[in-house]
Amino acid sequence: MTEQHVYTVSELNRGARELLETQFADVWLRGEVVDWKRAPSGHIYFSLTDGTSEISAARFRGRLPVSPLLDSEIKPGTVVLAFGRVTVYEPRGRYQFVASRIQPVGAGALQQAFEALKKALHAEGLFAPERKKPLPPFPRAVGVITSPSGAALHDIVSVFERRWPIARLYVFPSAVQGDVAPKELADAVDRASRFSQSETSLDLLIIGRGGGSAEDLAAFNDEALARAIFACPIPCVSAVGHEIDFSICDFVADVRAPTPTAAAELATPNREDLITQLTNQVLRHAGSARRVLTDRQEHLKRLLHPATFRTPTTKHETLSQQLDSHLSSLARDIRRVWRRTATAAAQSEALLAASNPNRPLERGYSITTPLGSSTPIRSVDELLPGAAIETRLKDGRATSIVNEVIKA
Amino acid sequence: MTVEESLEKLQIITEKLDRDDVSLEEAIALFEQGLALAASVKEQLEAAKLRIEHVLEETKGTFSFDAFDAS
Repeated sequence: MTEQHVYTVSELNRGARELLETQFADVWLRGEVVDWKRAPSGHIYFSLTDGTSEISAARFRGRLPVSPLLDSEIKPGTVVLAFGRVTVYEPRGRYQFVASRIQPVGAGALQQAFEALKKALHAEGLFAPERKKPLPPFPRAVGVITSPSGAALHDIVSVFERRWPIARLYVFPSAVQGDVAPKELADAVDRASRFSQSETSLDLLIIGRGGGSAEDLAAFNDEALARAIFACPIPCVSAVGHEIDFSICDFVADVRAPTPTAAAELATPNREDLITQLTNQVLRHAGSARRVLTDRQEHLKRLLHPATFRTPTTKHETLSQQLDSHLSSLARDIRRVWRRTATAAAQSEALLAASNPNRPLERGYSITTPLGSSTPIRSVDELLPGAAIETRLKDGRATSIVNEVIKA
Repeated sequence: MTVEESLEKLQIITEKLDRDDVSLEEAIALFEQGLALAASVKEQLEAAKLRIEHVLEETKGTFSFDAFDAS
């Protein structure tokens, strides 16, 4: 009789663990959730049953936190599909299933809910183009609904500071992810509407958050939020940080922007562009006024003898004594205008100096022209691969050959 | 006057100045008006400093403000 090996408890548990982990390393398991508990550590403990048999299971918080969404999607009774391995918790000799992935059966339940809601709201007319409100060209009071500590607010503030600091931002704080977020967001929209009615009329509302996973952004797919935005009398820009996918919020908002930064840029004129526009307008006015003056001058010249009118400032003093009152008043006009146009010309020159193309170079920008030309290239449409171009900077020039043309 | 109102006024001035029957006196007055208007808008835009308020609602319809530091 050979001597039997006597195991210690630890040895047996370790052996069992090794055996089970090898045998059941990559297992798909289907079952109904019996218990669902999230420990403060972030781990989730639950059991799965098929009605006859039960197994303890765990979903450990890994490098990535377990999505908070799972809590709202999975509860006792939910049938789930889990992927993981079987192991033994040695200190207790208890065997369990450790899930690395878990999802409700009928995968994409969330996606289906999204499509169904989208369809219903669309049918109801919440996305109708004719219901979209135009954005004001020069917003003064702008409501921002987002997390007061998020990157989105910081981005929006930066854009307004640069482009349109004349505005005033009113921040309506709200959670932007997690279970409370949909309600808080919808409440914030209502709050902004009330504020706009009773305190300061808001020209515009930006609602959003920075990028995140599909689950992080799920708050913006809420029906109540969609209805709050639809009912809001203030034009709304949605800025949910994802370039590709749309949220329900995007569809119902008056304008959709891919990021908070883009939303702020869409919502604001650029003050520098506006100043350029003002300068051009004043120059145009000066041109018109000068044209009127020249017309008058011509008219007067025709009335007077050309030779006697060559030096108007000295000659017309005597002339006016001989002319009737109509003519003398014209002469006064002209004298006054000579004086005024001198001032206007000086001002125009100052304005022209302000729009001098070399000014941007001083500020660190560059101007690109085709080689040998002085006409700036304003669009990539003017470029072809292989084209020779010249770039002017503050302190010199560089020539180059276009390698690739990428249209934004 | 808001920026928007000033821009509208400037546009009206442009149209008046472009008319054939504008008198010399009128043209000069319009030009000066436009210049002053444009200068004031430019100054407003350049001097503006963004203001941010944190809005809290005490009870329904009653609001309080907090100057907000986003940086």
